[in-house]
Amino acid sequence: MTSTTALEGLLVVDLAWVVAGPAIGRALADYGATVVRVESRRRLDAARVIGPYLGGKPDPQRCGLYDTYNAGKLGLTLNLSVDAGKEVLWDLVRKADVMVESFAPGQLARWGFDWDRLHEVNPKLVLVSTSLMGQSGPLKSFAGFGNLGAAIAGYQALAGQEGELPIGPFGPYTDYVGPRFGLVALLAALEQRRSTGLGCWLDVSQAEAGVQFLAPAIAQTAATGVIAVANGNRDPQFAPNGVYPCVGDEWVAIVARSDREWARAAETMGVQNDAEPTWRTLAGRKGDEQRLDARVAQWTRSFTAGHVEEVLQRCGVPAHKVASSADLVGDPQLAARGHFVRLPHELGGESVFDASRFQLSETPARYERPAPHFGRDNEFVLADILGYGSEHIARLQEGGVLD
Amino acid sequence: MNGSLSAYRAIDLTDERGLLAGQMLAKLGMDVIQVEPPAGSSARAMAPFDGQGNSFYWSAYAAGKRGITLDVEQGRGKELLLDLVARADFVLDSADPGRLDALGIGPKQLMERNPALIHVSITPFGSTGPKRDYADAELVLWAASGPLYANRDASGLPLRISVPQAYLHGAADAAAGVLIAHFARLKTGRGQHVDVSVQQSVTQATLASHLAAAIGHENFTVLAGGPKAKPGPRTLDLSGSGARTRKSKWRVADGLIEMHLSMGPATGGSTNNLFAWMKEEDALAEELQDWDWKTVPDRILAEEISEDDLEFARTCVGQFVQSRTKADLMGEAVRRKIMLAPISSISDLLESPQLRARGFFARVDEGGQERVIPGAFAAPARGLFAQMLGAPTRGQHNDEVYGDLLGIEDVERASLRHKGVI
Repeated sequence: MTSTTALEGLLVVDLAWVVAGPAIGRALADYGATVVRVESRRRLDAARVIGPYLGGKPDPQRCGLYDTYNAGKLGLTLNLSVDAGKEVLWDLVRKADVMVESFAPGQLARWGFDWDRLHEVNPKLVLVSTSLMGQSGPLKSFAGFGNLGAAIAGYQALAGQEGELPIGPFGPYTDYVGPRFGLVALLAALEQRRSTGLGCWLDVSQAEAGVQFLAPAIAQTAATGVIAVANGNRDPQFAPNGVYPCVGDEWVAIVARSDREWARAAETMGVQNDAEPTWRTLAGRKGDEQRLDARVAQWTRSFTAGHVEEVLQRCGVPAHKVASSADLVGDPQLAARGHFVRLPHELGGESVFDASRFQLSETPARYERPAPHFGRDNEFVLADILGYGSEHIARLQEGGVLD
Repeated sequence: MNGSLSAYRAIDLTDERGLLAGQMLAKLGMDVIQVEPPAGSSARAMAPFDGQGNSFYWSAYAAGKRGITLDVEQGRGKELLLDLVARADFVLDSADPGRLDALGIGPKQLMERNPALIHVSITPFGSTGPKRDYADAELVLWAASGPLYANRDASGLPLRISVPQAYLHGAADAAAGVLIAHFARLKTGRGQHVDVSVQQSVTQATLASHLAAAIGHENFTVLAGGPKAKPGPRTLDLSGSGARTRKSKWRVADGLIEMHLSMGPATGGSTNNLFAWMKEEDALAEELQDWDWKTVPDRILAEEISEDDLEFARTCVGQFVQSRTKADLMGEAVRRKIMLAPISSISDLLESPQLRARGFFARVDEGGQERVIPGAFAAPARGLFAQMLGAPTRGQHNDEVYGDLLGIEDVERASLRHKGVI
């Protein structure tokens, strides 16, 4: 075991908010980067007011969404609309390796932090700008949350029952996809900086990131004109491929990936192959899918989802309960993986957040502090990182610069 | 220099469950050598297909890589793999847990050959734990991770996204994981194993609603519109981001748009801007003229605004938008800061002026056929990304890799081919 962390020594200024931007800094903090999350009490991060909340009590300082995307970061409250606040940010910029921001395109420049100036002040700095549409193009000013990104990126048309008004995916889907690409691009930019000595500006569009996850459908439409649409839970290559009702308002997902898997599932369900000879082949099952689904549902309705999962998995057929939040916290697999991390919180009780999504054998993620409450680390950031004296800090405090 | 990672090489053993990871690295210039069994990767059997049965999934996510065939189950094949690994910086795999160990080419064995190697395993539930050997499928992973529970239609039926997503979340995380491990290697000189569980990756697609029980928020409402969503304060959506509001799809003249009537201090301004526009057009009913959507939640809690009032507001908005086109609404939305978007179809995406202006799509050649696929995932960042190449045909780079990289002569290559090793 080594005491090295992968990203120790990296200073990150995190001006981002909600999910897509903060998720990038969160991953860096897990692996040893010093991430200063800059925010303002005057304009609450939406992630602080969406919930869920500790104990169900609405409190912007105890919100699970904020906590999971900001764990491990240092918290600095700063009023960027006043010059003294901007001065503090410039001081951070001078020392930083990375800045992540998710303001509307152009906002940072209006505050005087345009890329040319940032690059001149600190040529090593890598700037990650994450926005819905990107920093250029006719729709660059189009603002909004990820549910709009999910619409523009095509996802809102891709979840629903065939032929009905689509329901779209859950929540701001491109917010989940965007930071995956932003993080990889940022790490590549840091690698490039090792040889060039220069940072660069990364313009990450959440909508474009979303389209990356639709690439096969893009290639298909471009080549054949066929357009992917919402098709319930069905799959062109598997049947059954569905979600079925169980006792107690529970649901279970079941998939047969091959005729052999269907034969095993059918035996478990008590479906006589002789009674349904056409179901032995995928083509036969696809051609009679409504009846097939009804027959599967007739069986699942008598059992709990957990029971169905267990008996089908025992014979190697993919099945899983449609897991609720309570199921996930009780899931032995996630528990064995240490997925839910619990740390004492300075304001009382615990903060619970997701573990890193990759486990590194030699330099594992470290969870050193929960996400910050307002201004928790002002003193540390200003005194220890920026070297401000106590009078300087008191002046900022009194001037409302640290609100 | 062609791309920021062009100094590095990856041996990519993944199937459809991990194919994207290597592609993200290849787009950044890494020499990613996709290894297929001599009969071809199972990812080539993933829908959708063209008229000749070629997989667009393969086109999309093997693009940018070099491709070789190799039977790692034969002794000589395993030796060749170890020779490749000795010349590589990364190995990517998505085999069932324990399978590569059984073949003698698991992470430990490969790292004995190359101690600086970073090896990532992308598996459905992780390489460890009681469910590691569970049979997996896209829909089953979506069920096991949270987002399926949350996404219901009006009947309460959980619905997935019809273009498969789950494995992509895991693969994209794997690309980040190996690069973070790479920064550790720069300090220590040593490689390590990176373990990715698709289940854990997909938990990120729930807007943290999957954490509700873990933090004791028992009644947190996540149902988007199922039969259990009761009207009233408990189902208020203050986020404006789509988590819990019941009405977000609106029919307009030429399709659908996405828009929440968002409320509350953080996002109510958007709906205020919409109402201001309606007022200008004389389309705002008298009863709604004094509504401030920033304070609507408080007024609902104070019982000044009822569910019927909200429904009336929705009806007025529905009438206002139904005669307008997606483009008109989008134009006004940008001008007036209304959080609204047209719902794109896949063909809308291909024709999008925005994506075109940004040069987002790449045209690549795949065995003589043109394919259109998404290109770089950040712009403009000169030099960060490599020129896009099409997906390899089966064994397309065997001669290059076995000949030039491993120095195997023509005669032996013919023999390996004859024995079905390559």
